[in-house]
Amino acid sequence: MKKQIAHVAFLLLFLFGSAVGFSQDEVEVEFEANLSKEKLGLNERLRIEFTMNKDGDNFTPPDFEGFRVLMGPSQSISQSWVNGVKSYSKTYSYTLAPTQRGSFTIKQATIVIGGETYKTTPKQVEVTAAVDKPSDQMTAEVSKLRPYLNEAVSVVYKLYVSPSINVSNFRPLDNPTYNNFWSQDIPVTSYSVKNGTYEGKSYRYVILKRVVLYPQKSGPLEIEPLSLDITLDVPTNRRDFFGQPIYTQTNKTVSAGKRTIEVKPLPSQGQPSDFSGAVGSFRFQVTTSKNTLKATESLQAVVEVEGKGNLKLFQLPALEMPGSLEVYEPEYNENVRTTLSGMQGKVSNNYTVVPSFKGKYPIPSISFTYFDPEDETYKTLSSEEINIEVTSGPLESSGGNISIASSNKRPVQSTGSQFHFIKLTPDLRANSETPFFGSLNYYLFFLSPLLLIPLAIVFGKKREAIASDVAGRKIKRANKLARKYLFKARKALGEKEEFYIAMEKALHNYLKAKLKIETSEFSKEKISDIFVKKQVDEDTIDGFMALLKNCEMARYSPFSQVQMQQDYDKASEVINSLDKQL
Amino acid sequence: MKKLIILILLLTGATGLSQNEVLFEEASKAYNEGDYELAIENYEHILDSGLHSASLYFNLGNAYYKLNKIAPSIYYYEKALLLDPNDREIRNNLSYAQQMTIDDIQPIPQTTLSRITSRVMNIMTYDQWAYTSIFFMILFVSLYLAFYFFRFADKKRLAFIGSMVCLILTAVSVTLAALQYQDYNETRPAIIFARETSVKEEPNNRSITLFSLHEGSKVYVEETLEEWNKIRLADGKNGWIPTSDLRTLKDF
Repeated sequence: MKKQIAHVAFLLLFLFGSAVGFSQDEVEVEFEANLSKEKLGLNERLRIEFTMNKDGDNFTPPDFEGFRVLMGPSQSISQSWVNGVKSYSKTYSYTLAPTQRGSFTIKQATIVIGGETYKTTPKQVEVTAAVDKPSDQMTAEVSKLRPYLNEAVSVVYKLYVSPSINVSNFRPLDNPTYNNFWSQDIPVTSYSVKNGTYEGKSYRYVILKRVVLYPQKSGPLEIEPLSLDITLDVPTNRRDFFGQPIYTQTNKTVSAGKRTIEVKPLPSQGQPSDFSGAVGSFRFQVTTSKNTLKATESLQAVVEVEGKGNLKLFQLPALEMPGSLEVYEPEYNENVRTTLSGMQGKVSNNYTVVPSFKGKYPIPSISFTYFDPEDETYKTLSSEEINIEVTSGPLESSGGNISIASSNKRPVQSTGSQFHFIKLTPDLRANSETPFFGSLNYYLFFLSPLLLIPLAIVFGKKREAIASDVAGRKIKRANKLARKYLFKARKALGEKEEFYIAMEKALHNYLKAKLKIETSEFSKEKISDIFVKKQVDEDTIDGFMALLKNCEMARYSPFSQVQMQQDYDKASEVINSLDKQL
Repeated sequence: MKKLIILILLLTGATGLSQNEVLFEEASKAYNEGDYELAIENYEHILDSGLHSASLYFNLGNAYYKLNKIAPSIYYYEKALLLDPNDREIRNNLSYAQQMTIDDIQPIPQTTLSRITSRVMNIMTYDQWAYTSIFFMILFVSLYLAFYFFRFADKKRLAFIGSMVCLILTAVSVTLAALQYQDYNETRPAIIFARETSVKEEPNNRSITLFSLHEGSKVYVEETLEEWNKIRLADGKNGWIPTSDLRTLKDF
């Protein structure tokens, strides 16, 4: 078609060639670039035309960076006279195919018209991912269209080729970015051609790319198409000397269709709190390299998950160790192979543990939870409890250094290195004992000694006063003696006969006690003599004698109450003074 | 009549004691032979009869330690320490048991003054301080009276100084007894028995978890609301945990 236009244009040029020069100066020169579209998919084509309204020389096209020229340049010229107005146009056109994604600028093309250089304006072109233009030459086979979150999905890209065509080369134009997927490419080492059928026809096919995807988001997710630029050997109608068809090479862009995967979220019902995102089927164990060791030796504790699933995409449960153990940051090991069915192998955390002190250190069991997409349930595995026994502690001298080394841990003051045996004396007492402190008894015991101070002081004072008062003491003494001997007389005070008998008896009793002599049968003279011998003064002897006389006289003569009292007082006075002198 | 009752009480007490002593001896024998369950059973039998002692709690702690039961072991050692705060053997074995715990709680550093006070205060229990105060009081009174009645200046001076020293010591021991009594009544230490418990911001299950505690950690109960206890750790953190997850030490 274009060629036909070109032919017609040439014909016109020849016919009206003479008239061309006529009105060349009358029209303004125009030179511009036109794009068929400004945004296109990687698997689409772009047509660009450089149009001018006056013929020129030295047309230089821009270098089409990011594009490959499929066809061109092709020229077309058109010229017309309408009502004496001449119009002329000349076009250079190119057909371009994008080679990569991105935003490109088609630079300026230049031409010289009438001795002056004209340039077109640069044009922006945006190349997007391949538009969904299903081609039956390439398919993307998705293993599962409704996987669970974090469940493996494999995508296999296959290129189907009819038996009569050869593929001599291919080049990926655009590698899909798998947004919202964790992807692992399984490289295809050799492209082996296999036979298969596609939609009922027999084809040969090549596996071009294999990818394992782990969806990281629930909901509908798109897998971008893969676009390839392939070089094909296509048979022509011509045949060579031997009758074999002659092949010509062409390029073709193929892309696998865009696929949408519906990702199911993991069930929230019955989800354990310690679920860390593991999906698949696993085995779980915790092991230690040894169970008995000496302090400052090291041991390895390994937390290991083995199986099939998103092994690289979850965290291993942390090992809980007694705070007094020195535990270093775990070393993460993984031994994972990726196949079309997903990741397989084991991941482990390797803890190095160094106990500093003697003792027992139980490592409690920990649990690991994963989701099994086949059973559609959560499963929890628990490790066994491990007991580490540290048999001998550090030497006394090195004990200090160790506690410095493990300064981030609680320093354990083991006073000795041995665990003490039980106590053998019970010392039992009631456990309902009320505290002594604060009880009434306590206050009594505590405060009563204080009372002793004033008591003792008062007592002391009194004693001192008595000691200092001599006369008072004498009286007291006399009273005492009188009480001792005259109590009977005092009782009988008023009864004349009895009083004097008691008085006489008392006087004799006194002498008997004092002089150890029975004086009741003695005469007054004899008693007087004894007194003189004992050097008792006159007054006292006279007083004593007078009392005795009174006692005798009282039997025969009346005595008044007043006299009796006088005699009693006298008696006590006499006894008192006698006591001092004897 | 009164005397008779006391006599009967003493006699029954004596028979009860002897029974328990037999149990204690059996338990000790079982412990030595490695039958820790039987030992524990016997020791707890004694506890049930209403008697206790630091040795009894210490032995229970030992038996539970041998069975790798962290929480009861620490619980009984701490109880033994409440009765006898200065026993080195109890402290030593408690530190063994504490090595098994998972939580590492760093206590808040104390000021020098409070450290010295608490150290002096913990030399004796408040009851022992109470007896000490009575002893010093009697000494003070006798020295003071001696000062009062002595005739010579030298002796008087000596007795006076002695009595004043005793008076000061009396005041100090009464103060320490009172401080310790207050301290004892105000703090309610407890041991976590649950294997792992989450400490909540509020006393309900809806609130967020602040941190988690493991078996054997020592906490101080500050407040109680229904089935929840507000606890404080030695490092100053606090929160609420269910009562079933812990056991208070001062429940005798």
